[in-house]
Amino acid sequence: MLAPRIIPCLLIHNKGLVKTVKFKDGKYVGDPINAVKIFNEKESDELMVLDIDATVENREPNYKMIENLASECRMPLCYGGGIKTVEQATKIFNLGVEKIALSSVAIENPKLVTEIAKEVGNQSVVVVIDVKKKMFGGYDVYTHNGTKKTKVDLEKFIIELQSFGVGEIVINSIDNDGVMKGYDLSLIEKIKPLVDVPLTILGGAGSLDDIRKLIVKFGIIGCSAGSLFVFKGKYKAVLINYPKNEEKENLIRNKK
Amino acid sequence: MKNKDHIICVNCVMDTTDSKITFDENGVCDHCQTFYKDIKPNWHTDEKGWQEITKVVEDIKKEGKGKDFDCIIGMSGGIDSSYLVYLAKEKLGLRPLVFHVDAGWNSQQAVHNIEQIVDKLNLELYTEVINWEEMKDLQLAYFKAGVSNIDTPQDHSFFATMYKFAQQYDVKYILTGGNYSTECIRNPLEWMYYQSDSIQLKDIHNKFGTKPLKNFPVTNILWHKVYLPYIKKIKLIRPLDFMPYDKEEATQFLVDKFGYQRYAQKHFESRFTKFYESYWLPKKFGFDTRKVQYSSLIVTGQMTREEALEKLKKPAYDEKTIKQDFEYIATKLGISVKELQSYMDAPNKTYKDYKNQMTIYDFGAKILRMLGIEKGGKR
Amino acid sequence: MIGIIDYGVGNIKAFANIYKNFNMSYKIVKNISEFENVTKLILPGVGSFDHAMTSLQNSGMREKLDELVLNDKLPILGICVGMQMLAKSSEEGELLGLGWIDGVVKKFDKSKIKDGPLPHMGWNSLNIKKDNKIFENLEKNPRYYFLHSYYFECNNKEDVIATSNYGEQFECMINHDNIYGIQPHPEKSHHMVCSY
Repeated sequence: MLAPRIIPCLLIHNKGLVKTVKFKDGKYVGDPINAVKIFNEKESDELMVLDIDATVENREPNYKMIENLASECRMPLCYGGGIKTVEQATKIFNLGVEKIALSSVAIENPKLVTEIAKEVGNQSVVVVIDVKKKMFGGYDVYTHNGTKKTKVDLEKFIIELQSFGVGEIVINSIDNDGVMKGYDLSLIEKIKPLVDVPLTILGGAGSLDDIRKLIVKFGIIGCSAGSLFVFKGKYKAVLINYPKNEEKENLIRNKK
Repeated sequence: MKNKDHIICVNCVMDTTDSKITFDENGVCDHCQTFYKDIKPNWHTDEKGWQEITKVVEDIKKEGKGKDFDCIIGMSGGIDSSYLVYLAKEKLGLRPLVFHVDAGWNSQQAVHNIEQIVDKLNLELYTEVINWEEMKDLQLAYFKAGVSNIDTPQDHSFFATMYKFAQQYDVKYILTGGNYSTECIRNPLEWMYYQSDSIQLKDIHNKFGTKPLKNFPVTNILWHKVYLPYIKKIKLIRPLDFMPYDKEEATQFLVDKFGYQRYAQKHFESRFTKFYESYWLPKKFGFDTRKVQYSSLIVTGQMTREEALEKLKKPAYDEKTIKQDFEYIATKLGISVKELQSYMDAPNKTYKDYKNQMTIYDFGAKILRMLGIEKGGKR
Repeated sequence: MIGIIDYGVGNIKAFANIYKNFNMSYKIVKNISEFENVTKLILPGVGSFDHAMTSLQNSGMREKLDELVLNDKLPILGICVGMQMLAKSSEEGELLGLGWIDGVVKKFDKSKIKDGPLPHMGWNSLNIKKDNKIFENLEKNPRYYFLHSYYFECNNKEDVIATSNYGEQFECMINHDNIYGIQPHPEKSHHMVCSY
């Protein structure tokens, strides 16, 4: 049986890993290469690495770093951050990355999804959507690291992306980011019926139990987390962790 | 030119690769002599030792009353510090904060082991992550300096961070896993110069570093050996010295009770230290730290000389993985394999080639030995 | 020596890294003059069927591969779309496949997959249907990473050596003589490496 995917998500800022809370106050977590190596040795299902500066700084992706990270992964790696053209996407793909994540550019130019998919295949094109609760219900879509509010209608956008051939959608909750009190399940309830491609949720996981709740409720879904796999305890000590194979089996089979 | 004869101590396995080694008329080296004369008679792991440590433990508990934790334990994920954490909580009844400094080179086993111990003993963990860009630059500076002790940046940062934390949060007791049982024979200074010598660290950084040390924690010998213990009353305690400590027993215990993953050798919890001790030191300088470790185990009856000699017949590094390890080190430091090799091939330098505080250390060591505070010590 | 065919499609580096780590000799083959000393071939593949077939044709290696595989019987392992290319044709595209194994590539029937999206993405288990030396040293309960919306259907069921389940059982590993195909990605499934 296909298992739900449990995916650590690492954020890169100034060449180092950081972990944010509500997209702010990045706490320094260390060197990306060693972190990726440890996740690889812990046999994570997949890994997502997002460069949160690239778009804001309007610069090229750091190809050397991407190449180094990819060479440490014997599991699928998804990279995002600053990808705006087909050439950049294929270049990254050829460095050994399985999936490319697009964010703000998918809003500005959704056709890019189709164009990149033509080169690398639909299954390898991911769009990450950062959302924040509106004052009176509903969600706004943000870009540029949570600093720019767009006028995009979330539900319409999700449907549109699929018509452009997106391979996976990642919904990232800004409100729950780094708070570690659970995923925004009502958000997912709203979105899931609209999504026919693999869906991954990011933002809020504080314990393996939160992941279990997600799997119990939604079955085949991607459960992504940042803080959970990087911090430990009340002092938020930096310690890379990931459920062992038996723990993962239990999560997947919804056992305690 | 005729090579100096290679002489091995008849008691342990230290030999003339330690250029300052001397032997008595029976062929016993000065390391062994120091152990038997100065350390062993003053090292109590029996009832006396237990009494000594329980007294200290009482002080720690008194001092820590009402606080979240009563001491910090420096934990690398290695066997000594892991066993110490268990001991502190379960046998000595302390409430430690487990303190880990992440210098960017943690092996998966180290991370796993720290997690297991912290979880199963239900303790709190605090980590300090050293700014990687600065650590990388400093480590490269040491490579360029061509000295033997390129692991100084890591070592220095571990102690500096712990001391700074202790001072900042007024923590009076720092426990470490340092112990005579496996470390009574020390690495000669020629092999591993004092990692706490901040004058040397700054000199090497000035000469070969490219980034300012803004976040990197720097300590200095006077600050942490004089000011902190005597003025601020922050004490460093080595509990493992006060009771019987058998390395293999401790390891097996950790494996059985905590699902601990073994390392191939002491200090291999850090990928960099593994490279440093198994490849850089022996291959470039002919310094094999296993001789030091095994010699400690020999004089404390945990290993026979024959076993040690047998083990030393194999190379210090794993021939199957060295190529990948070498590449990983280069990649992580942001240099090519060729550049890393060039540092391996460059002329060997010593700590004397750079500014250093040896006079202070020499003077300090004399005083400490006179006062009976330090037994043995590095030479 | 393993030859990893680089025709512009697929995660070549991932394969190179694996062989490097196992200290096994390999080379990346980009044109017909580079096949010397190669005793086994890897045909990676991702993306769409037509795109992969076109790239292979444009690489200029197609005829040489036909010769090496069909005449000289050099072992070859097609991975993911590389496996699909072994077929005669695919529902995904218009072009013909290599036709080295008798079968066609079909799209998953969405109506049969309850609660699961397409593409089939993630870790799934393998059901071994037939003993094969490629399974030597394979772990118990092997799990691999899958990433595809189409699958191979053999006309000759003797060629099927393993299946997996997504909605229904589908063929995910095939073998005919010297030609092998594996649908999931062994190079991205941690230590699930088959004895090839």
